[in-house]
Amino acid sequence: MTEQVLELKPVRTRILTAKDNIVDVIEQYAKDDIGPNDVVSVAESVVAITQGRMVRPEELNPSFLARVLCRFVPQKGSLSSIYGMQAAMDAEGKWRVAWAMLIGMLGKVVGRSGLFYELAGEQAALIDDVTGTMPPFDKYIVYGPADPSGVAEAIKQRLGCYGAAVADVNDLKRAAVLGVTQGLNPKEVARILIDNPFGNASQKTPIVIIKNYGLAVQKAAE
Amino acid sequence: MEFLAVLLILVLGAVVAVWLYIANQGDASFKFIVDQRTDFTLKALTKDTAVFSTTVPFVNNGTQDGTLMDVFPRHFLPCEQFDAVDTDTRLTLDSANRTDGYWEANIVPKGTGGSIILTVKFTAKSGDIIAALKNMVDMPIDIIYQVVARSPWYLAKTRLIMTADEIHKALAAGQQTVAR
Repeated sequence: MTEQVLELKPVRTRILTAKDNIVDVIEQYAKDDIGPNDVVSVAESVVAITQGRMVRPEELNPSFLARVLCRFVPQKGSLSSIYGMQAAMDAEGKWRVAWAMLIGMLGKVVGRSGLFYELAGEQAALIDDVTGTMPPFDKYIVYGPADPSGVAEAIKQRLGCYGAAVADVNDLKRAAVLGVTQGLNPKEVARILIDNPFGNASQKTPIVIIKNYGLAVQKAAE
Repeated sequence: MEFLAVLLILVLGAVVAVWLYIANQGDASFKFIVDQRTDFTLKALTKDTAVFSTTVPFVNNGTQDGTLMDVFPRHFLPCEQFDAVDTDTRLTLDSANRTDGYWEANIVPKGTGGSIILTVKFTAKSGDIIAALKNMVDMPIDIIYQVVARSPWYLAKTRLIMTADEIHKALAAGQQTVAR
């Protein structure tokens, strides 16, 4: 794809909560900036928050298994606290997570890392432990969003844009697209968002419009 | 039978190994070092209010990273003991000074720490703060903190005393500075 025509436009919003509908919010804050050749991308944690997919540690009752298994996750990982681990078990099933941990350990013994997150389910990789999101959600464990492709389709339908994506991007040059509208290449969108145009959470720009994406696709096809 | 015995020994061995691993790994351990706090100093003075602050260091001297989920102050000045002022206390992280009274959950790596700024505001009920604080008493303040780490979350508290003598000294020093 030729990217000379592409422009990334972050959209600032107020703090969104579980009372908000992400499609309504995009319409409210960005409708006039979105054209038929644009792709609307939205941060996955904010989508999850608007879906009410979060829980305070105090609301969880960690199992014995969670207390043991969290000890085998490196400290920087969201599942290294018993609450992060319990949240993953609640989302994906405790035996699935336990099994993935066992296989993950065996994998490491033979030099194959990353098996745990491959096997434990999507939420195990998406969960943000406390401090992972800006106030007032810094005291919450935030799950990954539900049905990200459905959310992307709803955005496209309402805003009439070229496409939409729900993305997980951070400042460590890691970008993953969890859901896209039909016809969009998630890896391509992730590559475009790799420099984290969403900024850190305190910048309050959970929406990024990829301007002229459709034109770039057209040019690349010529 | 022999196979079962071997299996049992293996399982028991695995359980002991995991237990030893966890015990050896340890946990975060926080301490607010109130005996290393700075003296209270006068930060602002109006006819009816006086604002004092102190800096209190804290440390995670455990073997694991830990999160200070919440930290807040609780002052103890019942009207039965002293009824001349209304008191408001709040604190913030020294390195990320907030003015809204909100504590942002904060990961503290093992072996590191920081400090908090504790602010106390007195408002004279009579309208004259200098007169109101004349007979002030020693006031205990608890720093209450919620920790999330490898083990279940817990609340802990550390008490410091804001002495009447300290308040009078800070007030006098602050007034001299203003007079200059």
